[in-house]
Amino acid sequence: MANYAMVIDLHKCVGCGACGITCKNENNVPEGFFWANFLHKTTGKFPNVRYEILPTLCNHCENAPCVKACPTQAMYKDENGLTLHDPDKCIGCKRCIVADPYGVIYFNKEKPHRFWRDGTSAIEGITTNAQEVTAKTGTEVPYYNPDREKTYAGIRPKGIVEKCTLCDHRIRDGEKPYCVESCPAGARVFGDLDDPGSEVNRLLSKYDHFQLKPELGTKPKVFYTREF
Amino acid sequence: MRISRRDFLKISAATGVLASGVIGGKLTLTALAEKKGTGGGESGTWKATTCQGCTTWCPVQVKVVDGRAVKVRGNPHARANHGNVCPRAHLALQQVYDPDRIKVPMKRTNPKKGRNEDPQFVPISWDEAIDIIAEKMMELRRNRETHKYVTFRGRYTYMNEIIYGAFTKIFGSPNGISHSAICAEAEKFGPYFTEGYWGYRDYDLANTRYVICWGADPLASNRQVPHAINVWGEVLDRAKVAVVDPRFSATAAKADEWLPVIPGEDGALALAMAHVILTEGLWYRDFVGDFVDGVNRFKAGQEVPEESFQEKYTHGLVKWWNLEVKDRTPEWAEKVSGVPAEQIARVARDFAKAAPAAISWLSPGASMHVRGAYTAMAAHALNALVGSVDNKGGTLRAAEIPVNKLPKYDAYLDDIAKAGTKYPKMDQRGYKEFPALKKGKSGGGVVTNRAAEAILDEDPYEIKMAIAYWNNFTFSCSEVSRWEKALAKLPFFVHITTNPAEMTMFADIVLPAAHHMFEKWGYLKSKANKTAYATLNQKIIEPIWDVRIDESEIPWMIAERLAEKGFDNLYRYFKEQFKDPETGKEPTNGLEFTLYALKKFTQPMWDPSIEVEGDALKGWEDFKEKGVWNSKEYPYRKYWGNFGTKSKKFEFYSETLKYALESHAKKHNTDVDDIMKATKYQARGELAFVPHYEEAYRWGDPEEYPFIFFEYRSRLNREARSANCIWYQEFKYVDPGDESWDDVAKLNPEDGKKLGLKTGDRIRLISPTGQIECTVKLWEGVRPGTVGKCFGQGHWAYGRVAAKDFKRRLPRGGNNNELLPADYERLSGSTSRHGGVTRVRVEKL
Repeated sequence: MANYAMVIDLHKCVGCGACGITCKNENNVPEGFFWANFLHKTTGKFPNVRYEILPTLCNHCENAPCVKACPTQAMYKDENGLTLHDPDKCIGCKRCIVADPYGVIYFNKEKPHRFWRDGTSAIEGITTNAQEVTAKTGTEVPYYNPDREKTYAGIRPKGIVEKCTLCDHRIRDGEKPYCVESCPAGARVFGDLDDPGSEVNRLLSKYDHFQLKPELGTKPKVFYTREF
Repeated sequence: MRISRRDFLKISAATGVLASGVIGGKLTLTALAEKKGTGGGESGTWKATTCQGCTTWCPVQVKVVDGRAVKVRGNPHARANHGNVCPRAHLALQQVYDPDRIKVPMKRTNPKKGRNEDPQFVPISWDEAIDIIAEKMMELRRNRETHKYVTFRGRYTYMNEIIYGAFTKIFGSPNGISHSAICAEAEKFGPYFTEGYWGYRDYDLANTRYVICWGADPLASNRQVPHAINVWGEVLDRAKVAVVDPRFSATAAKADEWLPVIPGEDGALALAMAHVILTEGLWYRDFVGDFVDGVNRFKAGQEVPEESFQEKYTHGLVKWWNLEVKDRTPEWAEKVSGVPAEQIARVARDFAKAAPAAISWLSPGASMHVRGAYTAMAAHALNALVGSVDNKGGTLRAAEIPVNKLPKYDAYLDDIAKAGTKYPKMDQRGYKEFPALKKGKSGGGVVTNRAAEAILDEDPYEIKMAIAYWNNFTFSCSEVSRWEKALAKLPFFVHITTNPAEMTMFADIVLPAAHHMFEKWGYLKSKANKTAYATLNQKIIEPIWDVRIDESEIPWMIAERLAEKGFDNLYRYFKEQFKDPETGKEPTNGLEFTLYALKKFTQPMWDPSIEVEGDALKGWEDFKEKGVWNSKEYPYRKYWGNFGTKSKKFEFYSETLKYALESHAKKHNTDVDDIMKATKYQARGELAFVPHYEEAYRWGDPEEYPFIFFEYRSRLNREARSANCIWYQEFKYVDPGDESWDDVAKLNPEDGKKLGLKTGDRIRLISPTGQIECTVKLWEGVRPGTVGKCFGQGHWAYGRVAAKDFKRRLPRGGNNNELLPADYERLSGSTSRHGGVTRVRVEKL
């Protein structure tokens, strides 16, 4: 039993995009979906300009509106404080999406990864095509990561929602979430809020921090320290 | 209240039914998981290879699961990136499995060549393709015109010595023509003609206390991106960062100072900073020396007697002051650069106060200008003023990487080859107006972009055949229309490529290339974090298409066929000179040849019987397993006292450049002033030998073309080869100011208002030499009067993601190189793609 959280140090974050890309890689996330994403804004007037990027993901709220809204308990809190989703129970009603104030849940209105099912070629008979590639690799997506299947649908099928699980399949095996692992800036720290000696607690006590939309009472578990 | 999953499960059935009623009779659960696994631990094996998405050349590991490449990470054995990679490395997965890859060799059946001609490619066998190529080469040999053959090299591994060197020469051509001059040769000009080092510097980020980036954007591009990203938080804690860039770059976004220079006017800033450092007595005396009596005589506008100053490790400081720096006040620089004098002085002071732990970080952005060579020198001279050259916290060279040289091939050159290789190279290097002074030698470097004119004008001679690999000059060279014409004229052209690139569309034979990171054997040498290293490209998956390795396997296949047709020198050279260093066996096929060659080149690093300054590897298998060899840590101040310049000192007054320019002038029976004129420089007399101000050179009349156009690099560009990756398009917005799935030209909102433009409008940009269409983005991160746009989009070929409509050749956005005129920084041979080389007009569509 743990109370997992993530701290993103905006001072270290350079906004490179690696977390967003590798999240898709790890979780076989289809085109157009962003379990890990970014908010960015440019403020001020030339030459006094400020540009900020804020990496976002499911906040794994302690008081998760998506969980409350889910009529089938497909969206649920696990014993470690993660907000998880059970595809077997999901009926695709999208109430979680409506309730989610952070816009991190996506609905598969069609069979995902349409890109990889295209059977036409740029130059017929000479360049390959997506169908040929996936036929050769024997997977729906050529770089499909089978490890995702350990705790979730490897690829979420048509008609249900999907979202960040904080890589519960990796955490389970003692690894860090993949966005943490692959952040070249070391800006993402994952750990247990209930462990007073954890790195997340160390950072939260050392630096000022904030959460997104705290006024909603969702108690997000993603914390941001310092400034971009 | 925390609720366990068990609690949820208990109540799920009841609420599920209830809920389904609510949403309208959808009684069954919509879907089941497609696949469920239960095993613990990660699947697959991590295998070492190299990412060449930019020229950092990162040692990486790829996770291979059931023969598939699944993930990428930094190689933990590498000290340079300490196990980190930037976002580019991950995109490579979408390159190797790109659905638009060429899977078989192909042959053109439409003899007409042009952008709008359908080549009518048909698939052919490797056997047929190689036979056609070998036959064309034999024809050149029979006619004794082997010099009319060219190997065009683009990106490469160090195995290029086979195809670009030995293969080309033994066949009988002098023409190994590289892409280097469209890359960054003007940047190397700076350190070479000041400290005698023709190369990129390493930067001691762990110890620095001030960093000035001259167009450099180390958090996004070149040349040690993952290391820079990884330590930047600490750099910002310890040091100040100032970014000189016309665009608010990724690094500027996190910097203490942004100096939004008018494109091409960086030199004024560097000189004014030198002026401040000298007039305020802030130079680093342990490196530069001091006035004999300790009294600072550097006062604005006043000459100083040379004998009053005693230099230590530098040469010509007072000459430089008297010739140039004395008049370069911050107030003067403000007028030409658009950056406030106060800010220039502040940055100069803070930079100098951090001496010697202060970095002046030079990049192509500040030097690949028509008149950029002296900017490169000026920016690098700042390092000398603060004593950070080759010093702790400053700019460094690299430790030695012990490799074996290419085996000598002189004995394999027959009379035809000897005659052919005596011709001058075809790219006009060393012409009066193209000194290309690489390492101080007239015509020592390539003038890549000039090769198009060379073909078109048959100057110095006609070109009949070319093999090009890992390049795309009809996309990556400025004023691409010239390349389109040149390739249309070229009678026989072979392109070795992974994708149907723009250049491919002009080919007679197309050969599908192995991807460098997953399917190829090779090695690279690079440096970062005070470590020089060699890293292997490894064939870590079995390619799913019938591809071959460009730099070694294909030359072997051609050599074999040439031998069958009666010319066996090349084949014998490959057989006899590339025996397996471990078994002594001769290679019997292209793959064996590749491996033996690789083992031979890298033997000093993996052979435990050879002592080297760095990692002690146990053998070839150990090298393959680790994938990387690290040097010992680079020592500081190694070159103080002997920099390898003419004076052995760091030269503010460059005796080395003086010698090079005078030699070049002598070769053309003229003087240096005439060379300056021929190369579009304004300097006359002694100014040519010191870093000095040159007004930015621009194409286009300001009345007709009111905006200065400049371009920059994407943190997702894999050298313009990643635009066909959907992740590239989806995440394009991580480049500050850019938009996903689009190609946006940034204009300041003030200019947008004047032109009646709003973000999202379609526009046409028109320069004196070309035009493109793209989307407008009004953004405060660019200066009024300028238009900034990222390089990388605008493909009309390459694939169906990169191009908006591949079949109809409609680009996604516009390629900057269709706007940019073919102009040069001639002293280095470089293509001028930066510095606002052209003005543009903006039209709303």
